[in-house]
Amino acid sequence: MQIYVHPGDELPIYRQIVRQVTDAIAGGRLRAGERLPSHRELAIQLVIAPLTVKKAYDELERAGLIGTQRGRGTFVSDRLPAPDPVLKRERLREAAQRLLSQAALSGVGYDEVLSLLEELQKEMQA
Amino acid sequence: MNALEFEGIRRAYRKGVDVLDGVTFSVPPGQVVGLLGRNGAGKTTLIRIAMGMIEAQAGSVRVLGLDPRARPVEVKRRVGYVAEDQILPPFMKAGQVVDLHRALFPTWDEALAERLSRRFELRREEKVGALSKGQARRLALLCAMAHRPELLLLDEPASGLDPAARREFLETAIELLDESGCTILFSSHYMTDIERMADRIVMIHDGRVLIDRGLDELREGFSLALVPRAPGLTRERLLGVEGCIGVRERPEAFHAVLRLEPEEARAAVERQLAIGDVRCQTVVLEDMFVELAGGPS
Repeated sequence: MQIYVHPGDELPIYRQIVRQVTDAIAGGRLRAGERLPSHRELAIQLVIAPLTVKKAYDELERAGLIGTQRGRGTFVSDRLPAPDPVLKRERLREAAQRLLSQAALSGVGYDEVLSLLEELQKEMQA
Repeated sequence: MNALEFEGIRRAYRKGVDVLDGVTFSVPPGQVVGLLGRNGAGKTTLIRIAMGMIEAQAGSVRVLGLDPRARPVEVKRRVGYVAEDQILPPFMKAGQVVDLHRALFPTWDEALAERLSRRFELRREEKVGALSKGQARRLALLCAMAHRPELLLLDEPASGLDPAARREFLETAIELLDESGCTILFSSHYMTDIERMADRIVMIHDGRVLIDRGLDELREGFSLALVPRAPGLTRERLLGVEGCIGVRERPEAFHAVLRLEPEEARAAVERQLAIGDVRCQTVVLEDMFVELAGGPS
């Protein structure tokens, strides 16, 4: 997978890496057992301090998403942890917030938003 | 042992006007410190004091445990230094400059010098005076790095370079960092370069260390509060809020930087000043710099 970091971003660089790797695992672009670049490789590839990569990997490891095998490298975990319910709700809340703001700006009423959600739900189940 | 130690450094250029007025911080081995401050804040002075080129009027400096004024040769052998306006002798050929450095440094790594030389496309026969600014900086960088210094002192190493040359410079520094784990202190006005390279930020303002924090801690643990103007609300009252380290007055609002996460910062300002409608957010390094250095001092 390709990682791209942007130093002027709202998120610090190590968080950008954490997020991109997390999203890639969640989206199936990184599969269990797949090897990640080493600290050194990623630092040179992204032109960032090696310690920043280490910090990102440490965080991903703490979250149980990746594991280090001594001498072999860093791999996506075979068994991924169940998502954190608080974080899950928080993310959903953010998305819902955006949806409601967009609806309000477009002059779309709450009932209409609800019927849109029902419609989408049906499409997904179909 | 720390790679670098500044203890109570003072230095004035004109009588009574201190550029550095008691600067204290130390850098453990392997750390990369971004040194921030406005022009004239004393960054160059501090780096020159570490190189033993000028003397502090008070305080002490230790470079790799040594006093650079007492042991100048040993310090210079173990340190790599690139200055903003590196003066290389214009009449010498690039190759002669490299040869000179090779002779001066017992730890010179010829393979590394060759590699950098190829990468930077340096031509030995070219006169230094005929080099472009970018080429001259690359030559200076090669000379500062090829002896694999334990400590690199970089004073605005990228100023005047185009974005491609700057990126190449960073790539080289990161490779070296990765290979030899050297300690780096570098000043730059390119905040994105600092975000790429630094583990820690030291910001000098009004002659002293205003901020000394891990970069990520600064990015996530500090907030900018936008405080709408209100009757009786002054800069001084805001500065009195716990954790507030700087206030800048703007026409529509006060901008306050707090040593707190956004939620805590908002609560602190609203509670302690009994006001509402305060917006708080984390900020990128560039904005942090402007907020802290741009206000009246």
